[in-house]
Amino acid sequence: MNQSFYGLLLWIFLVAPPVANFMESVMVIHMHMQMPMLVIAGMLMARFFQKRFSGFFEIWNSNGVPGITLFIVIMVYWMLPRTMDEALTSHLVEGFKFISLPFLAGISLRDSWKKLNSFGKNSIIISFTVLFLGLGWLYIWSPVQLCNNYLVFQQVTLGWGFLTTSIGMVVYLGYNFFIDPSAYE
Amino acid sequence: MKMEADLIAGFKEKTNKMLGFYTEDAKLSKSYIAVAFIALLVGGFLGLLQGLNRAGLLELPTWFNYYQVLTAHGLLLILVLTAFFTIGYFYAALSHNLGGLLPKVRKLAWIGFYVKLVGFVLAVIPILMNEASVMYTFYPPMAAHPVFYIGLALIVVGVWLCCIGAFIQVANWRKNHKGQHVPILSYFATGVFVLLFFALMFVAVEVLFMIIPWVFGWVDTINVMVARTLFWAFGHTLVNIWYLTAVSAWYVVVPKIIGGKRWSDLLTRVVVIALVIMNITGGFHHQIIDPGINAVVKFMHVFMSLAIGFPSLMTAFALFAVFERTARRKGGKGLIGWWKKMPWGDVRFLAPFIAMLSFIPAGAGGIAQSTNQLDQVVHNTMWIVGHFHLTLGMSVVMTFFGISYWLVPFISNRVLTPQINRLGVIQTWIWTIGMICMSGAMHYVGLLGSPRRTSYTTYGDHATALGWDPYLMLLAVGGTLLIVGVILQVYAVFNMMFFAPKGETEFPIAEEEDNATKTPYLTERWGIWIVVMLIVVAMAYVIPLTEFIVNAPPGSPPFKTW
Repeated sequence: MNQSFYGLLLWIFLVAPPVANFMESVMVIHMHMQMPMLVIAGMLMARFFQKRFSGFFEIWNSNGVPGITLFIVIMVYWMLPRTMDEALTSHLVEGFKFISLPFLAGISLRDSWKKLNSFGKNSIIISFTVLFLGLGWLYIWSPVQLCNNYLVFQQVTLGWGFLTTSIGMVVYLGYNFFIDPSAYE
Repeated sequence: MKMEADLIAGFKEKTNKMLGFYTEDAKLSKSYIAVAFIALLVGGFLGLLQGLNRAGLLELPTWFNYYQVLTAHGLLLILVLTAFFTIGYFYAALSHNLGGLLPKVRKLAWIGFYVKLVGFVLAVIPILMNEASVMYTFYPPMAAHPVFYIGLALIVVGVWLCCIGAFIQVANWRKNHKGQHVPILSYFATGVFVLLFFALMFVAVEVLFMIIPWVFGWVDTINVMVARTLFWAFGHTLVNIWYLTAVSAWYVVVPKIIGGKRWSDLLTRVVVIALVIMNITGGFHHQIIDPGINAVVKFMHVFMSLAIGFPSLMTAFALFAVFERTARRKGGKGLIGWWKKMPWGDVRFLAPFIAMLSFIPAGAGGIAQSTNQLDQVVHNTMWIVGHFHLTLGMSVVMTFFGISYWLVPFISNRVLTPQINRLGVIQTWIWTIGMICMSGAMHYVGLLGSPRRTSYTTYGDHATALGWDPYLMLLAVGGTLLIVGVILQVYAVFNMMFFAPKGETEFPIAEEEDNATKTPYLTERWGIWIVVMLIVVAMAYVIPLTEFIVNAPPGSPPFKTW
């Protein structure tokens, strides 16, 4: 219950106009800080929903695949330059961002992750690594402005954000692949 | 006869192993510690010269000027003393905790030792020739002689070898002790070597790919902001590595010396992890005055810097909890009356305790400096020098001194005599008074506007500059007391190393409290913490570095300002 409450607080903090305006003013903070933090807020709140609607999750997300699919759809949707632009221009879309990321992506990620086997988990991380590398490449080397609301320079910064995050994920995958925990634990 | 001698030797070897003492490893640590304290002696004298110069009491000759002295003082004390002490101390801990160093690890540490020494000699030559008076930083556009940078690069390589050795040692122990937590002091060592390993990457990139091509003239200009940022990603982390080394003794050794127990194993390990994850990004608060970083980013970095203060507060809480519990168990009473039960006459406690206390004002000063508006007032003044001497010269180095009074006897198979203990207590008080005078004067005169990185001048007898003189005189008084402290300390160390009576000294490691809760195994999964650290580093550095590179100014040619 406690963590759900903190999740709610985090969500309110992120939605508060001064915070949201500040985070949205820099492209990389918008995509790589605000959005993940919204997902984290959802993951914290997930415990409340899991307890309240345990039957629902059991029926609809018994093996974690539907949940993780929903998570992927939402995440990929918000990585499109067009959708980010729209979130800044239309209040309706901005509202959808604040709801979809925590409640559709965050909750389903928390509920699904433990239900997936290691093959599923690794495939998700690998596909996101590839996606991040691709998007990094796109944002860094795109000759044109992809978002009406951000300068090309901001776009390049975001591209490097994607690349460095994917490096972090590659290190993690390497660690998982080369280090056998059973040798140590 | 020979058989008897062999038997005695074998028996001795066995007892040593029981005590966690390994002759070969002790020799390694002894060499590192000896170099550290020789550096203290020479560096301390150079510091005295600077202090006397700043007070207007001593005009340095042209063939060995203030900036040369400053460069050498910095190099000896912040690179040689700290690096050699940290490695010597933690290698002694790894050997003691983890059943002796593996032969290949010991070899790596020895190679690292010599590579660092060669690097150091290479760096000193241009300093003596007045070709590298850059004040010990890799801080373009000031450029030193190429050999200076090659020497520093070798020191980096030497430290890396020691990091790798430590990783091999810990991984090997974990393979043979499945599911167990790495002993706490070795856990600190792991954290320190992880930080060193990654922090050195930044400075290696700076020196190898930016500065060396630039000083050799292969490229005409350098991107100053990128170089400075890489420097501070390393520089700030290095400062915190010393601090983490000192903290390890506060958590693990001091409780044992006062006859207490460690307060919380989980909290201790969380503090190590938090410092490892959040440290590198702290580099930015050294650049608050730098142009080219916009206010939004600087604002973000205030959070990143203050976050580092949080584990320190946890440390303060945990340590005072240990003190109070131990003192009350010994019959201490009253709200503060229990203080009387602490072993004030034991230098192994007194020195680190005063070091801890000094970290309260030192940490507070650090928080002031990482605040944009406050830093505007003090950034280029003696205040910063005072802060640095309070943190490094007191919190860290006094802890190192305290450690030396049991570590040196331990690795030398000798004992701490009551005479040396008394000498240590006197030394501690001299050092405390000296550092309060010197660092206090530096802080205050900085607030009055006296600049740092400048030899003595009255600016044409300007009234403001003359007003600094009384404080600068106090600074010199403090400096003089400190050199007395240095001499006593170095005497004590070499006495304990070579002349003290033979005997066995314990490696003091406190145990956990009896009702301690089990620490979750997650704390041992360094792979995860390193990934988190890398992502935090990316969060902090991507925005400003992209800006510096994409919107780069034309760049700067090398400058020789002296």
